[in-house]
Amino acid sequence: MILAAAMNPETLRGIDDTIDRVRRGDRDALADLLAQYQHRLYRFLTRLVQDPATAEDLFQQTWLRVMQKIGKYDAGSKFDTWLFSVAHNLAIDHLRRRRGGSLDVSGETRATPAERLVSGTPDPLEHLLDWERCAFLASAVNELPAIHREAISLRFEEGMKLEQIAEVAGVPLSTVKSRLHRALESLRARLESPRGSVGRHDLPPTHKLSGPH
Amino acid sequence: MNEHESIRKLLPLALAGALEFEELRRVEQHAQFCDDCRRESETWSRYAQALRQLPQPSVPAGLLERTHSRILQQNAAATSDHANAIVLGATAIFGWATSLMLWALVRGFTGGSVNILGLNLVSPLSWSLLSAVLTWITAAASAMALVRRREIRSTL
Repeated sequence: MILAAAMNPETLRGIDDTIDRVRRGDRDALADLLAQYQHRLYRFLTRLVQDPATAEDLFQQTWLRVMQKIGKYDAGSKFDTWLFSVAHNLAIDHLRRRRGGSLDVSGETRATPAERLVSGTPDPLEHLLDWERCAFLASAVNELPAIHREAISLRFEEGMKLEQIAEVAGVPLSTVKSRLHRALESLRARLESPRGSVGRHDLPPTHKLSGPH
Repeated sequence: MNEHESIRKLLPLALAGALEFEELRRVEQHAQFCDDCRRESETWSRYAQALRQLPQPSVPAGLLERTHSRILQQNAAATSDHANAIVLGATAIFGWATSLMLWALVRGFTGGSVNILGLNLVSPLSWSLLSAVLTWITAAASAMALVRRREIRSTL
């Protein structure tokens, strides 16, 4: 739903106008811009750093950096790609400082990532089943390395084209493909592994993943 | 690696929409006649669908307002810094102009010679050096005052 709103032609047409107004110092336009991208940007940062407090701090830093550089933004490129690339750089810097090295390592297993997550299914039983399925998959995604989580989030949640993902992550297209491939294979291996941390659930992944979505 | 194995490796990317047209056509053609790859493709399809429906983190209450407020503070600080830079520049120009006028006046009143310890203070070279030293001391004091002010502002 968030993605659909972001891809709405009216929204896309309006974004250049909003950015022009922001450049001229219009506070209402700034509030509009923040509101328009708040869910997508916060979600992306949460996926990457896996900590709500850090994601919140990076969210603010991203916008501060964007406002410092808004004069250099090229209206010919897509604003969301530019915004996410700023967020990517800040998040990667943070992860490098925190882990002191490679980002190509698995994330720590958090107790229940689903605790902080919300769902919108009205029926209580369906809600519970959906919640379980989603939490199951979300915890497997959370165990992937940061660069793989990023590829998955940008492709499947943000619906970005591979070229856009390459621009955000600052890597060649072939690297994006390779990351996506490894991310999906690794995710499936984790979900189907009988001894993996995610595999502690008894149901096979196809049963968990299929369902009335 | 035979065709079947090569196609199986492409299936996750196919479902992620990450294949070129020719590769995708190859996968589709193979899957028409290969039950194993078709089943595998359906499994990947479920993964792709589920990944588009991961639970959404909710944006913390007040985050938007806090961010908006910090941006406005940053903009105000940037405007203030810009104004400070202009004032500093104008002060430097004023300092040099005053020094030049004062030099002309002192030369006029003293006839072009004020000797202290064998140094003629109103010669162009010594006056310039003296003015430069005084200007740099003033500029350094102003810069330190501005840095201190910025430090205080950042702690608020």
